[in-house]
Amino acid sequence: MSWLRVSLTAFAISAALPVHAQTVTITTAGGDYGNAMKEAMWGPAAKELGYDIHEETLSDGLAALKMQVTSGSVSTDIIHLGSPEGAQAAAQSLLEPLDYKIIDPKSVPAGAKSDYCYPFDSYGTVMSWSTKTYGENPPKTWAEFWDVAKFPGRRALRANAQDSIEIALLSDGVAPADIYPVLSTPEGLDRAIKRLEAIKPNVSVWWTSGAQSAQLLKDGEADLVITWNGRAETVKKDGGAADYTFKGSVIGTDCLGVPKGAPNKEAAMKLIAAMTQPARVAKLTDFIAYGPVNPAAYEGGLIPQDRLKTLATAPENAGTSVFSKADWWVKNGEAAQKAFDEMMSR
Amino acid sequence: MTVIADPSLAADARRERRFFLSLSLPALFIVGLAAILPILWIIRQSFLTTGGEYTVSNYQKVLSSGLTWSALVTTLELSLGTLVACILLGTPLALALASVRPRMANMLMVFVMLPLWTSILVRTYGWLVLLRRDGLINAALTGSGLTAEPLPLVYNFTGTLIGMVHYMLPLFLLPVYAAMRDIDANLIRAAASMGATLRQVVRTVILPLSAGGIFSGSIIVLIYTIGFFITPAVLGGGKVNPLSTRIERTLSTFQDWGSASVLGILLLVVMALIGVMLLAARRLVAMSTVKASHA
Repeated sequence: MSWLRVSLTAFAISAALPVHAQTVTITTAGGDYGNAMKEAMWGPAAKELGYDIHEETLSDGLAALKMQVTSGSVSTDIIHLGSPEGAQAAAQSLLEPLDYKIIDPKSVPAGAKSDYCYPFDSYGTVMSWSTKTYGENPPKTWAEFWDVAKFPGRRALRANAQDSIEIALLSDGVAPADIYPVLSTPEGLDRAIKRLEAIKPNVSVWWTSGAQSAQLLKDGEADLVITWNGRAETVKKDGGAADYTFKGSVIGTDCLGVPKGAPNKEAAMKLIAAMTQPARVAKLTDFIAYGPVNPAAYEGGLIPQDRLKTLATAPENAGTSVFSKADWWVKNGEAAQKAFDEMMSR
Repeated sequence: MTVIADPSLAADARRERRFFLSLSLPALFIVGLAAILPILWIIRQSFLTTGGEYTVSNYQKVLSSGLTWSALVTTLELSLGTLVACILLGTPLALALASVRPRMANMLMVFVMLPLWTSILVRTYGWLVLLRRDGLINAALTGSGLTAEPLPLVYNFTGTLIGMVHYMLPLFLLPVYAAMRDIDANLIRAAASMGATLRQVVRTVILPLSAGGIFSGSIIVLIYTIGFFITPAVLGGGKVNPLSTRIERTLSTFQDWGSASVLGILLLVVMALIGVMLLAARRLVAMSTVKASHA
């Protein structure tokens, strides 16, 4: 029974202490990204607020969120999700409404605003390639990415319909503005899946985590990798023989939500507000190339000029891109993923 | 069953049995809590909609989906592939271990057991380093000119199978080795003195007498591999999708606990069927051995 005594003692001590710091648990995706968020965002914010932060890392936030909320044992206060997952979580009432009395409502452009999951940074799903394989002459468009005769080599794609079906349609000549209208028709989804099936024999790995995609690019396991721009930029910066382009990227946002029934709801809202101050989300780009959503972060030279072009949302990069539509994914995600999985199993 | 005539002795035996049963109560309690309850919960979950109403639609959805059946086929291919490789590699190894002197056998056993003490995640990533395109094995193959191009050893079925066999081999080996070590050496000497060749000794004495161990090893391999998740997820490159990854996908992408529970139950049923089939096969083999020895 000694463990009982120890924990009782620990309990007694912690109860006896006059002040103990507010503890907030944050769940991030980990890896370079998670570290970047710690260094630039919640680390300094927690110091300012005097909070103790307990960090957990997960590559599948939504499943964990659902598990915690449904089982009634919510341990995390802030969870980092992709915006489509955020919208999905909100639709299943897994998130607390954001308190826009604490968080500045003007920090989010109207188009990106969410009542449940606060969008703080943006990324592009981009084409990246091995410079060892293609040198100065890589594929320049998604149509060329699909052209295995002109650009032989092993491809790596994400084992997920998200972004993949948008890119498949772009490669098939659909204009960025028409992607979701086309996908909303049954023939459109079919067309995207058929396009993916056509490239399938040349896909050597269907990756499941961002870190894995970076590793594939770095190791030269694959010659052409569809990945997130931050991952590709990190590989390039670390001296990997790799490059990438924003041309035709699918731009998405990541967001922070507070799980329904989170133990420290109020503190979580305060931490979200503090960690997404313009200077902090601008600072995030010191570590990983994910651009802030807050327009104020682009003002006053918070982000160095030469870094702007490495961000998906930089004006010069955004011309050929598609903005990922969270609403579409909430409505059609399951059908799209099922069609994708069936394609994979054929 | 032994028949005890003396009533006082019978009472003693009963008391003893009750005492032993009471000793097992804590274990039974834990098993009940940790195994039975979650299974009951999963069964209940499989009949619930996301809204919490009772339904059989989860079963209709899962059982009518081609994805389920192709995942089941992959699961069985992986399990049976691992089993065949374990039998082919493990049985001769066990034979070798059983035939050397005990000191030597103990030393070799340490090498066999070493992988068991390493975390499965570490081992799986270790294989990734060895098997990938510019990994050690491919570097050696292309460097020595044995192959012109690196072989696709990982991110496919082959790589997954290699990882699974590596994990399962020691677990298969243990019961087989135990059975072979227990064979009376006099039987082998007797067979040899009657003029049996080595091959005949293995076929007619050693294999029949170690069949029990091989069956136990096979059951362990099948039961473990049916639910394997990490190895296919890491070494399969998204192309090897057994039921376990299907369950994960159903949970993580669709948050569909009902369908995931149905898949879990399907896995349980498959396991039970395999267990029954193996036990039946074991009985058949035992019967035919008895017949053969009477003939």
